[in-house]
Amino acid sequence: MLMLYRKLIAASLRSQMQYKMNFITSAATTGMIMVLDFVILSAILHRFNDVAGWNIYEVGMLYGISSASVSLYRLFAPEVNDFEKYVVHGEFDQMLIRPVSPLLLLLTRNLDLSRIGGIVQGVAVLVLSLAGLAREGADLLWLIVFSPIAILSGGVIYFSMALSSAALSFWTHQMRDILTFTIYAPANASNYPISLYPGWLKWLFFTALPIAYMNYLPMLALLGKGGGWYYPLLAPVAAATALFLALTFWKIGIRHYHSTGS
Amino acid sequence: MIEAVHIGKSFYLSPEKKGRFASVRTLFSREQREVKAVDDISFSVGEGEFVGYIGPNGAGKSTTIKMLSGILHPSRGEIRIGGYSPQKDRIQVASRIGVVFGQRTQLWWDLPVKDSFEILQAMYKIDSRTYRRSMELYQELLDMREFLDTPVRKLSLGQRMRADLAAALLHDPPVLFLDEPTIGLDVVAKTSIRAFLKEVNETQKKTILLTTHDMDDIEQLCKRIIVINHGKKMMDTTLDDMRRQIGLPSLIQVEYRQPPSLGAELAGIERLELSGNVLSVHFDKGKISSPRILAEVAGWGEPLDIQMKEPGIEEIIRLMYR
Amino acid sequence: MVYWRIIRKSYRRNLQYRLSHLINNVASSIFGLVFIAIWMGVLRGKAVHGPYDAETMACYIAICQSVLWVTTFMSPGLNVQVGVRSGAVSLDMIKPVHYLWYTLSQEFGRLLYNACYRSLPIGLLLGLAVGFSFPSDPLAYLLFLLSLLLAAYVGMLLFYLVGISSFWTTEVRWLHLILLSLVFGFGGQMIPVDLMPGVLGQLAPFLPFAAMIYYPVMNWLELAPAYSIGVQLLWAVILTAVALAVTKQARRKLEIQGG
Repeated sequence: MLMLYRKLIAASLRSQMQYKMNFITSAATTGMIMVLDFVILSAILHRFNDVAGWNIYEVGMLYGISSASVSLYRLFAPEVNDFEKYVVHGEFDQMLIRPVSPLLLLLTRNLDLSRIGGIVQGVAVLVLSLAGLAREGADLLWLIVFSPIAILSGGVIYFSMALSSAALSFWTHQMRDILTFTIYAPANASNYPISLYPGWLKWLFFTALPIAYMNYLPMLALLGKGGGWYYPLLAPVAAATALFLALTFWKIGIRHYHSTGS
Repeated sequence: MIEAVHIGKSFYLSPEKKGRFASVRTLFSREQREVKAVDDISFSVGEGEFVGYIGPNGAGKSTTIKMLSGILHPSRGEIRIGGYSPQKDRIQVASRIGVVFGQRTQLWWDLPVKDSFEILQAMYKIDSRTYRRSMELYQELLDMREFLDTPVRKLSLGQRMRADLAAALLHDPPVLFLDEPTIGLDVVAKTSIRAFLKEVNETQKKTILLTTHDMDDIEQLCKRIIVINHGKKMMDTTLDDMRRQIGLPSLIQVEYRQPPSLGAELAGIERLELSGNVLSVHFDKGKISSPRILAEVAGWGEPLDIQMKEPGIEEIIRLMYR
Repeated sequence: MVYWRIIRKSYRRNLQYRLSHLINNVASSIFGLVFIAIWMGVLRGKAVHGPYDAETMACYIAICQSVLWVTTFMSPGLNVQVGVRSGAVSLDMIKPVHYLWYTLSQEFGRLLYNACYRSLPIGLLLGLAVGFSFPSDPLAYLLFLLSLLLAAYVGMLLFYLVGISSFWTTEVRWLHLILLSLVFGFGGQMIPVDLMPGVLGQLAPFLPFAAMIYYPVMNWLELAPAYSIGVQLLWAVILTAVALAVTKQARRKLEIQGG
């Protein structure tokens, strides 16, 4: 299985190289665009000191984890994000006639290497924030231990939300608009403390779009903002649960696939 | 090898609303129209059979093939391929079938043809001895040596179809589903593909189900024919039987300089249609030869242009209702 | 007039997407709500900075989200690069209409559609959530409309310049993303540009990006400085000159090299 994954990924990378793909430029541009995004956020916090009691470094922890997670997901699953075309044009057909999982075939169609720039940006924001927190005299050990777990869990959570959206497109035949709900808006919201949002939105972020578990809840505990000691453990648990549910939904969705075309 | 028992597939469409706030009303509408793409079709295909599955556009041919190959789940009925259900045992079925869609390649578009084969070898877990043997065989039969290192996107349609066929056969599946394998090909390419299909059917005893619009494919390849229309099975018979029933319908169109003066109808001519200067001659190839017709119609005026038309599936179906 | 006809045709062509856009509007509004919630958190318990109390800021963001659909969310490169790649651009260039105005008319039709089926519903939804704010002075409506048109015009020209760069480069995607992030960063979508710290805060109001988002919103709120329309007009003139010059170069390149 792993060997086949490697072989397929190698093949898709080779196809990409056929076009003069400038990996460095695209990754650098993506990174720069995201840096600009963080500059704006810093500008706001520079002016107003804090948002709902979180200072720039604390928000930076949230932001870095969310940013690296979403980039991780988009690095490995660009075709899930773009699944609409497979449903609308019936391109999903070919993935169902092979003796391997269609999801494996989908994931190996492409890697979006430009997203590495986003991961670098996210990690850079994390490092800067950790340095800032250190100056304030915070204990970094658990923050450093937890960061990679958070990024991985976050990546899985984003992937699960995207896969569920993709599965939904078996019925709705469209996904782009759904993604605004399930990926883009949550990704934006999770840069900040979830406590900011109105009740129903908060509720969504703890249930159907479980982004609160990847950075907000753990940081409550790790930054001493009054969370239980076990909050950081919720990140991988939530990720595993979300993945399981998304895979189940995906399998149900495939049964409803209406292949189009002649 | 292939069993289909009372299979059906329905799609549901919500009709588009007209008038004010149409989009909002469509969004909240619960009203749906059922469209039966395939409606209660049963058939059984034995090992080594070569079956033509034909019908007009939108009759449900592709939908059937997609259900047989495990892409679509039937709304009703049961399917067995070599004893397995394509829906419940998708993986087992996938390694026992080869599928070719004429409209769409399954090879890796930007990679050399050979790379696709290597990926498929890993995917179907083909051991290297078998792999080498099949590669040799198909390179020979399909004459692929010259373009094995060419990226798929640079192949001609004929080359691509040959590569697609080899790819579908690489894991030596006992069953082949071919959806319009000759569509868009020129005469030479069609001939070589037909020769190849005949060969694998006869020597390797592959069970083949083929959809096509080309009556020549059917005449030269299929011993048995299943005709469907509007999702229902119309006829399931041998080629010889169908020939007896409806003959070999053919069509010649002649454009004259002036409106022709039609002579006496010959035996074997089914129907003459004249519109302006263009005369359509429908005839039965089994009863009268085309040169004989040409000789005759040349005397009816001064021909400018003569075209031999492939008889359409629609014509066959019209004749069946006669 | 021919351009008006192009605008109308483009408007009608976009009508077919209105069902999926209606769903998307709800999603876009959630974006707005997230931004508003962030600002409420930022401003909570703090002294008011300039005119921006919590209520005004909520309105600012709401109107911003609505205005974006007319001045910022345009077709990447106004689709000029599509025509360049397919070669259809040579046909468009020999039409008896000026290529620049032809392209802008096409886009403007889409923006009119956006105004009706995206800006209005989103403004309505967000207004219901945070409260409506209407200008008190009838003259303000006029100023807003003028400012909005100029914003859309400046935006179209910037997008056009990205698109027409495809005559010289192979890929405009990255240029488009850079432009978009500059607009989002310095246009006032996330933060009113005068609130930006230091030099940025002094410079940003005079960049073309502020002309696309910040000024129309401020005109609606009746908070715009007197020179706002002037800044927009200036950029409109400058960018028109640049666009005309670049179009001329592109045409020359087409004539010499055949595209």
